[in-house]
Amino acid sequence: MRSRNGNCNLLLRLLSIVFLSSLSLSASEFLISYQYTVKNAVLYNETLEISRAMKKCSGVSQKELFLQNTTDNNLKKIISQNSEEFIDYIHKLGLHVKHEGTTTNLQNSSITTLTLKTTCFEVDFNDSFVKIAPLKEGVN
Amino acid sequence: MKLSMFFVALLSVSSLFGADTVNEEASKAKIEASVARTEASAARIEALNAKAETSVIRNETKESKAIVSKTTAELEKANSIIERNALEKAQSKDSEEAFLAKSKKVYISVVGQGVAPMNTVSPAQAYALAKRAAIADAYRGLAEKIKGVRVEGHDLIKNMMMQRSTIRTGVEAMVKNANIVETTFKEGLCEVEMEIVISYSDFSQ
Repeated sequence: MRSRNGNCNLLLRLLSIVFLSSLSLSASEFLISYQYTVKNAVLYNETLEISRAMKKCSGVSQKELFLQNTTDNNLKKIISQNSEEFIDYIHKLGLHVKHEGTTTNLQNSSITTLTLKTTCFEVDFNDSFVKIAPLKEGVN
Repeated sequence: MKLSMFFVALLSVSSLFGADTVNEEASKAKIEASVARTEASAARIEALNAKAETSVIRNETKESKAIVSKTTAELEKANSIIERNALEKAQSKDSEEAFLAKSKKVYISVVGQGVAPMNTVSPAQAYALAKRAAIADAYRGLAEKIKGVRVEGHDLIKNMMMQRSTIRTGVEAMVKNANIVETTFKEGLCEVEMEIVISYSDFSQ
């Protein structure tokens, strides 16, 4: 037969465990890829893919981005609301550039493709903002 | 007694005559011997001359061999000096490049151009799409400046006439930390000036 004080301690322990686990669950990981093609100086096929990671990502978080969070914890909505800022951030992170130009009988045509390969991002949801940081392996 | 004396005198006279003949023969023999000696000495002299000539030739060949060996040694020395100088120059160039790369930052600036598509809903969309295309063009320019361009040319000539001339250019690179300096949008053409800073630490990771 436990005393009332003992039961209170057990309840506090359980609540703290639940609270800490909820804090750890709020930091989630997302896989993001981005690509667009420019053909003859005109933009085509801009795609931004966002999906939740199905397994734990490894690596160290790199340069982070803070976005304003006015909605619930939906990353797609947050990024669509701050798309310009997020795309500038992706450009800063680094894009793979592939360019092919052809000149046939003095007529030019070119295709340039910029790609962010599928990268795992660590996303921390908070009340008013979201912290997004890419995870990179082998870098301190 | 007189007879004995006479005999003695005869003997002496006979001995004298005999001595003359003997002396003549001896002198002949001596002359022949001297002739033989002179011939032998001449032969020796010839032999000596021949030996001297051969020794001279040998000396000359030895001298020529020595000269050839000296010249080859000098050539090898000169080659080694040239190689050393070339190596020193290459090392000095490497050290200069490394020194420049470590001490200086390189600023690369390009201007990219993009055009808005025809079927846009609003001028804002046209501007956004043209800007994105201009950014891609600027990234291409940065990649070409930093990494270089692969160029392939093909000309088709038939009956001494140019049928088709094709030039293909291409580049693949990873570009990060590029900054937009200025953006202008005039008459459907968007121009974006971009800049990137390259330092030694970017490539030493």
